[in-house]
Amino acid sequence: MAITQARARALLLTPAGLWYAALLLFPLAVVLIFSFGERNPIGGYAPGFTLEQYANLPARFAAFRNTLTLAPLGTVAALLIAYPLAYYLAIKVSVRWKTTLLILVIVPFWTSILIRSYAWIYLLGGNGIPALLEAFGLGELRLINTPFAVLVGIVYGYLPLMVFPIYVALEKLDKSLLEAASDLGAPPWRSFLQITLPMSMPGVMTGSMLVFILLTGEFLIPAILGGGKVFFVGNALVDLFLQSRNWAFGSAVAVALIVIMLIVVALYTRAVRRFGVRRDDVGLM
Amino acid sequence: MRFYAVAVYGFLYLPIAIIALFSFSAGRSASSMDGFSTGWYVRALSNPFVMEALWTSLKVAFFSAVLATVSGTMAALALTGMKGRLRAIFDVLVMIAVMIPGVVIGIAALIALATAFSAINPWLEVVLGRQLSMGLGTLIGLHGMFTMSLVVLLVRGRLETFDRAQIEASNDLGASPLGTFLQVTLPQIAPAILAGFLLAFTFSFDDFIMAFFVAGSETTLPIYIFSSIRRGVTPEINAIGTMVMVASLTLLIIAQILLRTGTLRAKG
Amino acid sequence: MTRDNSPITRQKFMEELRRYEKGSITRRHFLGATGLGTAMAVMGGAVPSLLPGRAQAQDLGNRVVLATWPNYHDAANFDRFAEETGVFAQVNVFGSNEEMLAKLQAGGSGWDVFVPTNYAISTYVEADLIEPLDLSRLPNYDAAAFEQRFADAGTIDGTTYAVPKNWGTTGIAFNSSKTGGVVDSWKTFFDGARDQFDGRVMVHDYQLTTIGNALVYFGHSFNSVDPAELADAENLLIDVKPHLFAISSDYQPSMRNGDAWLTMCWTGDGKQMNSDMPEIGFALGREGGEIWSDYYAVPKGAPHREAAYALINYLLDPEVNAREALAHGYPVADSRTNALLPEELLNDPILYPAAESLTPLEFGAAVTLTDPNRAELMARFKSA
Repeated sequence: MAITQARARALLLTPAGLWYAALLLFPLAVVLIFSFGERNPIGGYAPGFTLEQYANLPARFAAFRNTLTLAPLGTVAALLIAYPLAYYLAIKVSVRWKTTLLILVIVPFWTSILIRSYAWIYLLGGNGIPALLEAFGLGELRLINTPFAVLVGIVYGYLPLMVFPIYVALEKLDKSLLEAASDLGAPPWRSFLQITLPMSMPGVMTGSMLVFILLTGEFLIPAILGGGKVFFVGNALVDLFLQSRNWAFGSAVAVALIVIMLIVVALYTRAVRRFGVRRDDVGLM
Repeated sequence: MRFYAVAVYGFLYLPIAIIALFSFSAGRSASSMDGFSTGWYVRALSNPFVMEALWTSLKVAFFSAVLATVSGTMAALALTGMKGRLRAIFDVLVMIAVMIPGVVIGIAALIALATAFSAINPWLEVVLGRQLSMGLGTLIGLHGMFTMSLVVLLVRGRLETFDRAQIEASNDLGASPLGTFLQVTLPQIAPAILAGFLLAFTFSFDDFIMAFFVAGSETTLPIYIFSSIRRGVTPEINAIGTMVMVASLTLLIIAQILLRTGTLRAKG
Repeated sequence: MTRDNSPITRQKFMEELRRYEKGSITRRHFLGATGLGTAMAVMGGAVPSLLPGRAQAQDLGNRVVLATWPNYHDAANFDRFAEETGVFAQVNVFGSNEEMLAKLQAGGSGWDVFVPTNYAISTYVEADLIEPLDLSRLPNYDAAAFEQRFADAGTIDGTTYAVPKNWGTTGIAFNSSKTGGVVDSWKTFFDGARDQFDGRVMVHDYQLTTIGNALVYFGHSFNSVDPAELADAENLLIDVKPHLFAISSDYQPSMRNGDAWLTMCWTGDGKQMNSDMPEIGFALGREGGEIWSDYYAVPKGAPHREAAYALINYLLDPEVNAREALAHGYPVADSRTNALLPEELLNDPILYPAAESLTPLEFGAAVTLTDPNRAELMARFKSA
């Protein structure tokens, strides 16, 4: 019985295993190997073993710096905007409206981020919000193709991803606790700080983590709203393969990006232990 | 508080509304409203490249979602209740697949497949008279690899929460393993499988970055839209965008109705 | 390859330029649009063009994939091509020769026809990515009808890999209602970007022109790969970057809606914008810049080779080519086509600037495409 069960398991895992081997492990192995290679004079990859590509990583310092400032900034901005909304949805809204309002949050997330991002070209372009502000005499302002535009796009794109886990966490909050606190004379800010906020931490952690991971690998939003000027590592990476044709260095940048993400995930896992997030709180989608 | 919520919803829907509004403009300018017309929809729908890109996207989304759902569900069934090294390996694989950015996966697949193809193709040419190249196959493969991981997570989550006593009871009552699976397990996890399928489909349909690298000469709808907006937004692109959003919305509503059984909440 | 070395290219260029300057006294002569001989060439070219299309209609398949540059064709010509041959053209647009080369190098591009620029062709040959053309399948190509200096880069060591499409220049497009006049020097371009035109200037997402024109700003060669000169260019570009509106080769939308006032610009884009909005002008940098010619070529392993030849042959038909030129506003080096174009286009100062303003311009050199320092400089500039 045990043997057949093991065999059945192996059979069931075969398609997934082959798939991962061919399109996940093999490509990642190639990237790792290429990252120690050299650039072919006419572009592409030339075999070799050198640490030159890694030594050259500081040449993309700006892209890493942009990513590692704008990604946390975008995460925090999304969190600050999402938290009150999640709080409102979880605690203030009547049951009747809850589902509808929740769906309204998730709908934009399910539509193409490409289309939602390019909509901001209008709003931030010279004939959009800046023209409006100028009409009110607020002076000339340039928004499109700036880090600010990218930040707006980021917050806009990933807001739903932040609202949901926080909502789920707050939803579990036992409201009688809040009532008890208020009965005992605690001011609202105190019961928020001592009860609501700690209880919602798992959601905050999950949402922040999801958004941060996605932002670290972001390419599309800077490409559309950054005008080629605001570069994330993802953009630098695409450039290395589609313009400079430097596969070896591109592979090294990719490896560096993966390492950064692993570090972030490791830090998150530690934070999760500290805040006591349970596994089943982490689900979203 | 309510005012704040209204403001956030405004933030979420304003750009979408503007796209939808301008798509009905009668004028040529994509950034102003000159009269009302559905002409740009007619134009978009009669543009052979748009329709071809749409068709490509639908094909890729459907086949990659089917394959991802089947193999993802199989893997989830095997992994549930499993221990040992194999389980650990798969856990890591699923996590890597979900965590690594699409741009890295796309580029990695591109250079790996390009290298492999150029090594294999001279032989294939001799043996089969055909060659491998980037295209629908690589695109379906890569989308499916990623979305399969989502399916594994969803279905396994569902499998782990349901009552294993039911399976034992079914076995005790003399049902065959297949019978138990079909009668007990499958109905329990069906909503998660369906949700996984829809998620996989939507992801593939919307994905730009992986497709950008491994689509070869194929043009999916997001690739078409991306290369179009590089040359300036037109009302036609707005019309396409509006239709895509309405389609996604419809899909979402259908999913909601199908999953009314309450299992959607289990996955958050 | 000796022809890659910029001194020789420059020398050759000077010779050709002198030839042109002599000819420029009678511009119509330079254009080759002269009398009876041309008319015969037109007839000779136009008649066979229809024959292969029809005769081979069965084996052409129904699609052909073209990789080209933005705003570079008359869409109606593709419709006519589809009507005539049943082959639908799928047009993919790129922003730089690097991008095209990268896509071909990765394999499986699926292209049938692409449009490399003069200096890129030798690299494609070296990388074995381009197919020698079977000229017998291009009856509309008449080498004698083409101005030599805009056609010779297509033939390498006696083998023809590419046939000429258009030539042009890389200059400056300016919105005169905002810039308050003509901008015709790279000095004003880069200095103004940091001053009176702050936040309104665009440069190409293209190493050749963006680095090249920054080099020209310092009086260096457009094609320089000298590390010290490249360092000058890098300092300038990095310094200018925060003041730029965008780094993009698709500058028409931003110029037209007024977000950008000034951009590096190819001839035809300048002409297109100028036709629609007379306040947008086009000028060549006084200090120099690029003169170029583009070519049609077939990549190795093109999936629809028959259709590729049919499309190139169709586009080389002088009548078709003339319609193309009217739509995109790039000059043609084919005398048969020029004979069909209206006088005002042939005298258009954007398409055919005064010969002395062409004097300081340089053809791109092959070494710029493969030089790792230029590629890396551009990447550093963009990610800075």
